[in-house]
Amino acid sequence: MARMVSLQQQATHPGFSLLTSSLSDFNGARLHSQLQFKRKMGLQNRGALQVSASNSSKNILIMGGTRFIGIFLSRLLVKEGHQVTLFTRGKAPIAQQLPGESDQDFADFSSKILHLKGDRKDSDFVKTSLSAKGFDVVYDINGREAVEVEPIIEALPNLEQFIYCSSAGVYLKSDLLPHSEVDAVDPKSRHKGKLETESFLESTGVNWTSIRPVYIYGPLNYNPVEEWFFHRLKAGRPIPIPNSGIQMTQLGHDLATAFVTVLGNEKASKEVFNISGEKYVTFDGLARACAKAGGFPEPELVHYNPKEYDFGKKKAFPFRDQHFFASIDKAKHVLGWKPEFDLVEGLTDSYELDFGRGTFRKEADFSTDDIILGKSLVTA
Amino acid sequence: MAAALSSPLTSASSVLFSSSNYPSLPSFSPSQRLSFSHSALSSSYSVSPALFTFPSPRLSPTAAVSFSVRAATAAGEKKKVLIVNTNSGGHSIIGFYFAKELLGSGHNVTILTVGEEGSDKMKKPPFNRFSEIVSAGGRTVWGDPPEIGKVLAGETFDVVLDNNGKDLDAVRPVADWAKETGVKQFLFISSAGIYLPTEEPPHVEGDAVKGSAGHVGVEKYMAETFSNWASFRPQYMIGSGNNKDCEEWFFDRIVRNRPVPIPGSGMQLTNISHAKDLSSMLTLAVEKPEAASGNIFNSVSERAVTLDGMAKLCAKAAGLPVEIVHYDPKAIGVDAKKAFPFRNMVQKRSDRATTKPLFLSYEHASGMWIFNVCCCCCCCSTSMLSHEQQRKFWDGREPQTCLRI
Repeated sequence: MARMVSLQQQATHPGFSLLTSSLSDFNGARLHSQLQFKRKMGLQNRGALQVSASNSSKNILIMGGTRFIGIFLSRLLVKEGHQVTLFTRGKAPIAQQLPGESDQDFADFSSKILHLKGDRKDSDFVKTSLSAKGFDVVYDINGREAVEVEPIIEALPNLEQFIYCSSAGVYLKSDLLPHSEVDAVDPKSRHKGKLETESFLESTGVNWTSIRPVYIYGPLNYNPVEEWFFHRLKAGRPIPIPNSGIQMTQLGHDLATAFVTVLGNEKASKEVFNISGEKYVTFDGLARACAKAGGFPEPELVHYNPKEYDFGKKKAFPFRDQHFFASIDKAKHVLGWKPEFDLVEGLTDSYELDFGRGTFRKEADFSTDDIILGKSLVTA
Repeated sequence: MAAALSSPLTSASSVLFSSSNYPSLPSFSPSQRLSFSHSALSSSYSVSPALFTFPSPRLSPTAAVSFSVRAATAAGEKKKVLIVNTNSGGHSIIGFYFAKELLGSGHNVTILTVGEEGSDKMKKPPFNRFSEIVSAGGRTVWGDPPEIGKVLAGETFDVVLDNNGKDLDAVRPVADWAKETGVKQFLFISSAGIYLPTEEPPHVEGDAVKGSAGHVGVEKYMAETFSNWASFRPQYMIGSGNNKDCEEWFFDRIVRNRPVPIPGSGMQLTNISHAKDLSSMLTLAVEKPEAASGNIFNSVSERAVTLDGMAKLCAKAAGLPVEIVHYDPKAIGVDAKKAFPFRNMVQKRSDRATTKPLFLSYEHASGMWIFNVCCCCCCCSTSMLSHEQQRKFWDGREPQTCLRI
């Protein structure tokens, strides 16, 4: 099991040299030193919960870990002194220097992060390779189906904790909001695999913890959440929003810290936690917040009735057209966790470290916008 | 991020609901049931108040302050409580439930209602049920706050709740008299409506409030005058004996098989609590004054509900179906404030103006003509036109239905 040599792909991260030396702490590194200080203090003040996690160095396996949450989570864990292995197919580099990450920090991280190369759908391989290694803790960041988790549990009979990235998408749609962990779930939802995984974990008797995020955002987001707005703001285009624009949702930036907070925490044992931002935001409000974050002028919002259009297979808007938000009170009160970033701060962080530097995952595609705007112009 | 009230874009995202920074306490289970007369609710919909486990928003949220179980405090000191109660409006019900709860816990209660006992206002609920307070051992008196010294001459109280004034002018006479006569704890019913609109709900204690709100002046004055004070900001309340249209407005339509007209998309969120939960919160404040002292509490449910959701829940409670009809008040030319019991719900108008006529009568499956659902009618629960007149009107015309906005 060879260690991966660190790879630096400077070509994909243009123009980040300027401020990196002062931004060594990468958990969504902020550009303002004052805010950084605030964040460091926050991390230290997680008190008793922190102590148990940092006391002993654990042998941790992350299923996935090269895409979004895992990138930040793995760094936090390595920094806390744990031995961290990423189980991936190896399609993406195990370690890539991030915007805002100092050369030194990156070198440190990449020299320590380990790789277990394989396909998690190959359950025999998962079982044999994991039992050969014997991990203390597993973070399952990319699991979708219960069947994918079975071999992991079987391979590790002495597993101390299984921490699962589920989704608030499992909640049954409701007129009463926010969703809380005790709310009804929807066995037919798109995320039923997550639900089945949670049930499976419960049935095994393992010490599991499940985290249900709402919409996640931050630098390197592979899901075009904030990116969708930024593309339009940058192009000076109006932002088409379905229906009234008062649909309320919620974005979460501090997922990695939440995942660290539950590590070795008895209060997290066999519990589900919603993790997202402190406040909610309407679609209209989010458009304006993105504008603020990127220093754009207040955008023109165009509301439309999606039923009047046929977009084919394309998605005209990145969010579910409904209220969708969850209460994070349980995590706050049981774990003492709370989000560090408010919405505009988080969006600014994302903008300054990612989109604002010219990087994004999906090219701008305004075809659905043009359909909407074209028709609006005609019927005005 | 305060949004200007005048902007149509932001009026829809103005105060939709508030929540509280504080988690709920399990000891409040008796008050968690909705007291609808029809217990057809199969889902475990519990409305619990947002309660206080730590006194001040200034404290770190991880500082745990534990509350002893309610039962233990019931054996504690009995208080002499004065409630100064408004004689109309949505808050009337608060004094009613609070009085009954205090009496149930063995405290001594006087409720001073503004105005005169013989006034017409006293014929409406909850005032027409004040005998319940008397038979529980409470005292009911009437008078005007500036005359409080005369009305209650020679009396002293441990606790005063002002559930009347919306500004300092109205509350000051009560507060000053309370201070002079040695009242130890002063409580005030403020309002969650004073928060400045935000694009990022929910409102929590500490959020910016409207400078013009009279309640703010009261809260400031209380803080300066009393060493032990607390302010409660409720949103909308339900409960039998309600003086103001809330759940009854929905029930009126549902039980008569009338559609429920809701302005806008129906997705607007609001927060509705049961008055009994608010009274539990107030009683706790009386019984644990140190914990409550110096604090402002949002007195709302753990969850917000959409307007459509409210209609559906009322229907469920009544065990009846409901038909919801959405409309754009501006397009119809109706003042949504008069046509609908919740305010600030003015929906952003659709970008596509409707050109269809606005009459919403149509033939119900039963063969009966449904009344015209123009808002004026709904408010007074009668149709402007008789069945015969309606039938004549619609003769030869295509039935119209309201477009969803």
